[in-house]
Amino acid sequence: MARIELKNLRKEWGGAIAVAGIDLAIEDGAFVAVLGPSGCGKSTTLMMLAGIYRPTSGDITFDGARVNDVEARGRNVGIVFQSYALYPNMTVLENVMFPLRFKTIERTEAERRSREVATLVRIDGLLDRRPGQLSGGQQQRVALARALVKRPHLLLLDEPLSNLDAGLRLTMRTEIRRIQRELGVTTILVTHDQVEATTMADRVVVMNSGRVEQQGTAEDLYERPATLFVASFVGSPPINLFDGHAAGGMLSVNEARLPLADPVQGAVVLGLRPESLRVNGSGDSGRTISRISAVEPMGREVLYTADSAFGVIRFLEAGAEPRHRESDDVPLGFPPASALLFDKDSGRRLDARVAA
Amino acid sequence: MAADNLVAARGAQARPDWPALARRAWRRRFTGQSMLLAFLVVVSAPIVLPYFWMVVIAFTARTGGVASDVLWTACAVIAPAVLIYSIVHMSVPAPRLRLAAGLVLLAIAGALLAALIGERLHLDNFRFLTRANFVEEIRSKATSGAQFPSVWNAFFNSLLLAVSQTVIILTVSSLAGYYISRFAFRGRSVFLQGMLVLHAFPAMTLIIPIFLMLHWIGLLDTIVGVMLVLAAIELPFYVFVMKGFFDGVPWDIEMSAMTDGATRRQAFRLVVLPQVRFGLIAVAVFAFIRAWEEYIFVRTFLIENKNWVMSLYLFWVSDDVMGVDYGIVAAVAVFYVLPSFLLYVFCQKYLTQMTIGGIKG
Repeated sequence: MARIELKNLRKEWGGAIAVAGIDLAIEDGAFVAVLGPSGCGKSTTLMMLAGIYRPTSGDITFDGARVNDVEARGRNVGIVFQSYALYPNMTVLENVMFPLRFKTIERTEAERRSREVATLVRIDGLLDRRPGQLSGGQQQRVALARALVKRPHLLLLDEPLSNLDAGLRLTMRTEIRRIQRELGVTTILVTHDQVEATTMADRVVVMNSGRVEQQGTAEDLYERPATLFVASFVGSPPINLFDGHAAGGMLSVNEARLPLADPVQGAVVLGLRPESLRVNGSGDSGRTISRISAVEPMGREVLYTADSAFGVIRFLEAGAEPRHRESDDVPLGFPPASALLFDKDSGRRLDARVAA
Repeated sequence: MAADNLVAARGAQARPDWPALARRAWRRRFTGQSMLLAFLVVVSAPIVLPYFWMVVIAFTARTGGVASDVLWTACAVIAPAVLIYSIVHMSVPAPRLRLAAGLVLLAIAGALLAALIGERLHLDNFRFLTRANFVEEIRSKATSGAQFPSVWNAFFNSLLLAVSQTVIILTVSSLAGYYISRFAFRGRSVFLQGMLVLHAFPAMTLIIPIFLMLHWIGLLDTIVGVMLVLAAIELPFYVFVMKGFFDGVPWDIEMSAMTDGATRRQAFRLVVLPQVRFGLIAVAVFAFIRAWEEYIFVRTFLIENKNWVMSLYLFWVSDDVMGVDYGIVAAVAVFYVLPSFLLYVFCQKYLTQMTIGGIKG
């Protein structure tokens, strides 16, 4: 267990910048998720933490000690790869025991510890099998056991759930969370799936093109996204974004005009979450008559697509039964506090709000 | 509406005659399979017959002539048996019955062969295994000249050449293949292309320069000299094949081993090598057999009879102005073929892997 810190960490591949200066501090025993689209540098960061890639500049410290020059095998980091990377020529038990081969631990003790971890991740019945004979979920557990058996300072999970089917993903999510809590091991999860990130981790770090966009709890990211990127990446179905122009206390977006509560000038992007939009809500702003063009029942809620004065907009209504039909005209609005405003040039969120 | 038309058309169509279709499918499959079987039998006959001839002659011929009636008698028993089994195979679908029919046929054919040519079998032709100077019995002492070496001398020379060849090729091709597969270095693609060109280049054209070089180095007429030349000529291909196999091993596994505490060398040995074991087996078998059957280079670079390998031994046994004793030549050939044959039989399933790895490369 350790406190991990990244200071202005950079990685370049012959001129191409993969990670463009990251600062991050992870408390001992914390569970942090690094969330971002593919190619944002999150896996590169993970590989640098594991010691497989060497950073171009910047520092990585474990408990305050700089480990940049420590080889992968000296860092005592456990890693679960997306492909699980089990050793097909060894049995499950041999796989789990593999990391202990390189430590001065007696074989009997190594086996005892391996069996203990196997019980923890619930693969104690599979120890004599080979990885090829296991299902995806079982392989995942073996990989987890192998990463944990050496009692790592840091556990790294590289998209651990992306190869599992939906039902198993749900179970493994809670399983990993349970095991992490039980052991209290500092854990970093890398994923492109926001649900994985927000459900498993205490804190989520959103990365985009090699930079950290924002870090915080799931609630922070959802309610107070720091940038346009975070707003559009977090939330499903995605947020509605409209280009607008603010002048003289009014925001005009296409044909719609909204009064602003705070003074803003210039190009602004208006963000409306599909779930904050509602039909016939009292005290709503921006109420316009919108014509519904598509109805998609999703089970416990219904997703509508409508043509509004802002442009094409999507909104959600709770309840399995659709209450509107295609080509219905509905008065659509939103609570003023739910509208997000972003500066178009910098992409940063503005403190300004829409007036009631 | 177009959709209505489609629905109407489907309704108007007559119901298909399922049993007739099934019969037609069965007939088509039957004729297809029989033609395939016939084709395979016809094509393999010219490949199988020489070996058959070799074995029959080795066990039946007497000094001074070859009686071909034994060969024809054997063929007259075996060919109908193969034909009958083919018909049984085609018309009986149950594997159990097929096996039983096959065993019965085999027993009948065996009994017939024993009755017809059984008493003519003998092992006299294999006397070269125990008597070094058997040549003097079939040739006049004057023509045989110098002492003819024992077959075991040639056998162990061949074995030495083949085993050392296998060891050199396995070591170099696995290490080089791994390096080319995993590391980026300047000129990597040129190197790869160069290896392919080298492989395509007919090595025979180099035979005179190599002869001269071996002479100057002092390795002419030594097994070591042939070993080095053969390894150098064969290696590019095997390096390429091994590179293909290493390409198929995911990076993750190595990275995982290194974060688990292994050094790169340990990761290679404990995790990567076991994954390419089929490739290693295939390369080893091919390298062994290639050296075992080598003729041109050994014929050119080995002169003294103490350095003969099996192929040279076979050549010198058959080389005689007074006429050839086919019985002994065939017996030596059987003895010579046996190790490669056994290797093929036992490693056959690994050898097919080679093409897979090769394509990946």
